[in-house]
Amino acid sequence: MLRLVIMRLLAAVPVLLVVSLVSFGLTLLVPGDIASEMAGPTATASDVARVRAELGLNQPPLVRMAQWYGGVIRGDLGRSILLNQSVGAAVLERLPVTLSLTFMGLAVACLIGVPAGLLAAAKARRWPDQVTMGGAMLGLSLPDFWLGLLLIWIFGVQLHWLPTGGFVSPSTDVLGWLRSIALPAGSLALTQLGPIARMTRSAALEVAGSDFIRTARAKGLTEGRVFTRHVLAGAMVPILTVVGIGFGLALGGALVVEQVFSLPGVGRLVIGAVLRRDWPVIQGGLLLTTCIFVLVNLGVDLLYLWVDPRLRESS
Amino acid sequence: MRLFARRSFLIGVILVGAVVVAALLAGWLAPFDPVKNNFRNRLGAPDDVFLLGTDRFGRDVLSRILFGAQVSLRIGLVVAVFSGIVGALIGLLSGWWRGVDVWLMRVMDGLMAFPGLLLAIALAATLGPSETTVIIALTVAYTPRTARVMRGAVLVARAQDYVEAARSVGVRTLRLLLRHVLPACTAPLVVQQTYVFAIAILAEAVLSFVGVGPPPPQPTLGAIIADGRDTMVEAPWIALAPGVVIAMLVLGLNLLGDGLRDALDPRMRRITS
Repeated sequence: MLRLVIMRLLAAVPVLLVVSLVSFGLTLLVPGDIASEMAGPTATASDVARVRAELGLNQPPLVRMAQWYGGVIRGDLGRSILLNQSVGAAVLERLPVTLSLTFMGLAVACLIGVPAGLLAAAKARRWPDQVTMGGAMLGLSLPDFWLGLLLIWIFGVQLHWLPTGGFVSPSTDVLGWLRSIALPAGSLALTQLGPIARMTRSAALEVAGSDFIRTARAKGLTEGRVFTRHVLAGAMVPILTVVGIGFGLALGGALVVEQVFSLPGVGRLVIGAVLRRDWPVIQGGLLLTTCIFVLVNLGVDLLYLWVDPRLRESS
Repeated sequence: MRLFARRSFLIGVILVGAVVVAALLAGWLAPFDPVKNNFRNRLGAPDDVFLLGTDRFGRDVLSRILFGAQVSLRIGLVVAVFSGIVGALIGLLSGWWRGVDVWLMRVMDGLMAFPGLLLAIALAATLGPSETTVIIALTVAYTPRTARVMRGAVLVARAQDYVEAARSVGVRTLRLLLRHVLPACTAPLVVQQTYVFAIAILAEAVLSFVGVGPPPPQPTLGAIIADGRDTMVEAPWIALAPGVVIAMLVLGLNLLGDGLRDALDPRMRRITS
């Protein structure tokens, strides 16, 4: 068991190496001169030189790379000149907003998607199946940022039920926080529902054909109990997989949805940095967000072992 | 053809077909110039002249959507084809030679570790806004999945008896791969690229929406939505209409992909009907 955990952890090392190489390499791909771009159109030659020195751009790429990695290992991702803040602090400050949005969206998607998938499997090829699967398909085809605007229009502009944007911290006002995050999380959840419901259904159908399900039926369990207890347990690994993948998608979606609802999260930070060409923030944001994603996937991998004892034994 | 007897596949064909036809005929169908400003008609509600209203520069929203759909389809198709070719190549190499497999797959894993959209946004921003940039960024972001699918298919194919037989009678490797292995992998590849087509259209819309897509005044569906975002209260039609077109395209392509998958792989039909 411990050996397996260590193996999974080691497997993440090359992934993180590639991720960090790409994050660093981005600046080498920029066609123009980064320093003059960041200094702005009105900057004098000495301003540009100062920015160049501050970013260490007057050194050869290999030296810059060594310095960047040196910083990353010490937890220093550089400084944003435009925000006058260290990149690490800027990202960490905004991370709770993004993560709470991602988790809320994903949680709602699971709470609706898993039962819907089970229902579809229990009533396979009949109307409840067709309705839920049709809905799932529609949901995963809608752009989440557009869905956000649609929700703003319906619930904010037309009905005046919920705020159309802005963020309230849960530490000051829990109800206000829920209201501020309801629409963003809702639009994320609606697009995440589809894959979860579809995967639950196909996994449940596969499990439903097994011998132990026949046994469960034969000993007289009701159909509802067979599905909620035995089929669900058997289908847990594929469902977890899709929730893990869903986390990555939801995280990516959250970054954009933040933009729609003006939530002060990592997405707005990075997209703002992209538009202002604030390279240290782009690199650091990309690296940190992806590390979180990798860690979550690692967590999901370890959850498999907990959910499915067979995997533990095979190690 | 049996494929068309399936209702969902047929719906997919109709949805995608409708948008493709409308986009191809945009130059002829569009009632107005999509980039010409007309400040007398700013933010006009839909009426019988401007069927979907006008935006804050007085441009006809319908005309912009028609030309925007052209851009979306072009980018989606090119990304699907490019990532199909590159992914197939990587998958073939990786599935056939164990020596390169380890290295190639580590790189693919690394690229897949990024949230795809974030990587695409960062890349598009790095290379500067243009249609080519968007295509490169999306191809980099979505090739790894194709490579994985392809690698899996190659691993299955190389274990088949007929491949072993061809190898034992001395067929050269290149010919073996192209004539015997590749054909066995086309079905999963085509299905996967149908999904990539759909994902690329969604992703292009996001890139344009956040401002790293093809630069204005080029109409793209995402950019029209971004335009309409600021005027959601006075003129909701600007942002809402392009989303319907995106949804039609993506839903249609997903249905096509499912239909193809079920038709090409009968084992799946029992599970996903």
